[in-house]
Parts: sequence; structure tokens; C-alpha cells
Amino acid sequence: MKTQVELGLLYSRSGSYSLISEACRTGALSAIDHINADPAVPLRFVPVERDPRGNIDAYGPLCEEILRDSSARHVIGCVTSWSRKEVIPTLEKAGGTLWYPVPYEGFEASDHVVYTHACPNQHLLPLLGWAFARLGRRGYLTGSNYIWGWEMNRLAREVISGAGGEVLGERYLPLGSVDIGRMIEEIRATRPDFILNNLIGPSQYAFLAAYRRLGEEIAHFRPETCPILSCNLTECELAAIEPAAAEGLVAAGPYFRGATGWPGAQRSFGSSHEAAAWSAVHRLARLLSGHAGATRESLAQLLAHAPGGTEGIDPATHHTELPVLIAQVENGAFAIRERFAARMGDPYLSHGREAAMPAAPRLKVV
Amino acid sequence: MKRKVRIANLGSARAYILHRPHPTVQALERQLRAIGLTVVQCWPELPAEAIAADFLFFDVDQGFDEQFPWRPGESPMPMIALIGSEAPGRIEWSLEAGAHAQLLKPVGDGGAYSALLIARLAFEARQSLSAQIADLRRRLDERQTVVRAVTLLAARGKGEAAAYDQLRQMAMAWQVSFEDAARRVVASHDRQEDGNDRRDLG
Repeated sequence: MKTQVELGLLYSRSGSYSLISEACRTGALSAIDHINADPAVPLRFVPVERDPRGNIDAYGPLCEEILRDSSARHVIGCVTSWSRKEVIPTLEKAGGTLWYPVPYEGFEASDHVVYTHACPNQHLLPLLGWAFARLGRRGYLTGSNYIWGWEMNRLAREVISGAGGEVLGERYLPLGSVDIGRMIEEIRATRPDFILNNLIGPSQYAFLAAYRRLGEEIAHFRPETCPILSCNLTECELAAIEPAAAEGLVAAGPYFRGATGWPGAQRSFGSSHEAAAWSAVHRLARLLSGHAGATRESLAQLLAHAPGGTEGIDPATHHTELPVLIAQVENGAFAIRERFAARMGDPYLSHGREAAMPAAPRLKVV
Repeated sequence: MKRKVRIANLGSARAYILHRPHPTVQALERQLRAIGLTVVQCWPELPAEAIAADFLFFDVDQGFDEQFPWRPGESPMPMIALIGSEAPGRIEWSLEAGAHAQLLKPVGDGGAYSALLIARLAFEARQSLSAQIADLRRRLDERQTVVRAVTLLAARGKGEAAAYDQLRQMAMAWQVSFEDAARRVVASHDRQEDGNDRRDLG
């Protein structure tokens, strides 16, 4: 006999980042199916779904609607950091929990959010360490004009300067803008060793296509000598990018299609977004199983009481331990270039930046 | 020019929370531990080790002067006021106590990180201003000495401008400040004047 548990889903099925939403949603729904079909799990999830359609102002009210009109206490959802920050006050008021399966910029540890994808010590820092060792320390930083781009580039700027490198330019575009001419001209003029891409959606696709054309014109701007690096690019967006422009892109992430070692799963996923949403639902199912009253408990109570332990969730920060992979697009698919040791998310980098950059050369006392 | 503030690592910093046990303290502790700090709660006395703390959160509602083992406004670490009742008298007291930032109670899911950074920057800015002011005050106090020294040197037949230059060169040669050089000149003159050994002046 399975207990019915309503579970909120808050994903935009249209708008500039809908490919990522769909990947997360697919992961969550497939986990729900898997759990519902498994007789060993004593509960059955019933999705309660709302679609903000990419409208930032709809997230707060729709999240409130889920928590008010249904018995759901947990919501899987949000793609942008902006939308996550919009729903946190609602979660706090209603005692709800958001499960957030998307890479983000760190510097947050809400009591009402579980972060099941990577933060900078799991993506940006190892990626920069990798790039410093192979390409050089002169970078050009791009981003969409909101918190992800700002914070990722701020941290990158500090790490690059701290390593004696140089930031040759830092340029932002409004969300959805494809006005990438100036960035390309600045890159042409400054000849960096790598480009850090924190653009999202159509801006990113337009930028990648234009950069590919620059590389056809000038050999330096090809992936071998000056690749584009991303911390949030996964298979779920490759189809939106011109195949030739995608070739050679470098990305950091906890999973790429076909990789092994995803925590708690022997199966394959379409992308790390899908994998992170899938494991969010599974971790929740295990936290809710096996002790009475679990469905009414807050996240903090669940983490304290669940008989199976915290499911790999750090009770202090609500971040998770993840593998760290660097991959590069080769013939239309990500090929793993390097695998670093799995590590726990450290949102405030309280263990230091150096610890997260294994590839960076260090001075030794001899 | 935009001022770039380097957001330093707060990992392993130690914070004291001077507040009676309360859900607000729990919420604050949770936030601080997530940021990577170690936390000590105490009330109503601040233990002696607190002098080495990196941050001090203090209760404005029930706090009082005698809790702080230093003069008001001279804390050796950034102080963050925990304000419940926003009464003018209590806010005034927290400012006199030397708050560098504040956090409103009840403390919920956020606010600690920005309070830490703002308090630290305000504390550092106040430290460096205090050092500058002390230095300027010392120089101001020495102004009379400088005037006397220049007058004494000028009396040996130089113009005032030349005497001033000479004093500057003496300071450079002795590797002391301009004011210290003036003090030596005046002291040596006073010694010759009254015939007594007045080395204690110099």
C-alpha cells in the first residue's frame, strides 16, 4: 500500500531557457514514474504542476499556489537564479522546500532549498584550473546581464588575477539579446587564451555561431588554441547550437551523457540537468520513506530524522557531493577530457579556492 | 571608477553571538555555519576569549554597556547589531556601542552574509580612518614645535624658506618624520639655552 504524496513541479515550458526546463522536468517525471512503479518504495508521487512560461514575476505566486492549494511541501523547479531567489520568501513563509537541480553561482545556502547540481568549487574553479594548465591565464569574460553572469565572472576575475593572469574584457548582454558584435570585435582585438561563456539561451547560441565564424577567419580563435568554456552547457542545449559552432566547446559538469559514476544510479541520462532532477526526486523519496509523519516535516527535520541518513545532502549547506568532469564537444557529443575527484558543494568557498583547483601549478618549498 | 571590493574567504572565521538562547540565535547560527564560520553563543557575559573573535553579533534589545570589555566604539572586531524593537533609543545605543552593520530580528533564512561583509568593510574603513586621524592629530600637536624649530634655524642667518628646507633635509638624514626632526632641533636648543641636560625631551 503506497502513501500518496503530492509533489510540486515549477518549470517554464516556454521562454528563453525552456530547453533546460524540459531536461529537468524530464528527469523529475522519469524519477516519479520509476518510484511509483517500484513496489519497494512505500510512496507514490502525484505531480502538481505549474508553468511560469519564462515570466519571472509568475514564479513567486505559482509556487505559493502549489503550497497553498495542494498538500505538496516539496517543489522541484526553477532554472535561473533569479527565479530561485523569487520563490525563497514563499518557501520560508509556507515551510516548503525547493529542490534545485541546476548549476548555479554559489553564495547561497537557504534552509529551504536543496542544491543537487554543481556550484563554483564543483564547476568554475576546476574548469579554470584545467584551462590555466593547458591554454594560459588570459581570459575574456562574457555573460547575460543577471546574477549568474555577474557572480561567475566576479569569481573568475578574482581567480584569474590571483593566479597572475589577465582579464582582457568583460561584457554583458541583456537576457535574450543577440547583439554580440562588440564582444566578437573585442575578442578579435585582445586575443585571449580562452573565453568564459556565461551567456544563456539565444544570446549564447548567437555568440557561439559568430565565434565559430571568427575562427574560420583567424586560426587563433579555434578550439585548439582559444576554446569557449562553460559551466552550464549540457547536451540538452546542443541541438539549439549550430553543429559546427558546438564543436570544440569545453564544459565542466558533474555528468555528461554516457559517463559513469553518477551518485546513486546505474543508469544513463540525457544530460546532467536530467540526472540532477532525477536524483533530487529519488533523494526526497528516500527521506520521506521509513518514518512516521515524514511528509509533514520540514527539510531540517527530515535531514535530522530520516533513518537512512541525509542522502548525501550536507545538513549545513544543503549542497551535495558530485563528480567533477571536464568535457569537450567532439563529433556532436561531449567527450570526457578530465575527471577530478568527487567533492561536496562548498557554496561560500569556505574551504578556500585553492582546494578546488587541482590542476593549478603550486609553488613548492624545496 | 567602480570600487572593487574583494570578497575574501570567511571560512574558519569565528563569530560570537551575544544573545540569550532564542530561535533567532538558531537561525543565525545555521546561516553562519553554512557560510563556514564557527559560532559561540553567550549571554550575558562575553568570555575573555571573545577578544580574539572575528565578528561579534550583539543583542540591541537587552544589551548594556558593561557587556563589552572595551571602550564604546573601540571594539577590536566588526560588530553586528541584532535589532528587534526599532526604538530610537535602542538604535542610538547600538550606534554608540559601535555597530558596523545590523540585522533585524526575527532572523530567518538570509541576511547574515551581507551583514558580515558590510560590517567587515565598515570596520576596516573605521580602523584606517582612526589611524589617519591619530597621525594627523599628532602632527597638528607638533605644529608649534615645527614653527619654533624653523624660527631657530632661521635665526642662524637663513631665510625662513631655507630653514624649512634644512629641517626637511635633517629629517631625511636622520630618517625620522619632519615633526620628530623639529623636536630634536628644539630640544637641542633648549639644552644649550639653560645649560641643563634635557635629553629626555628628544
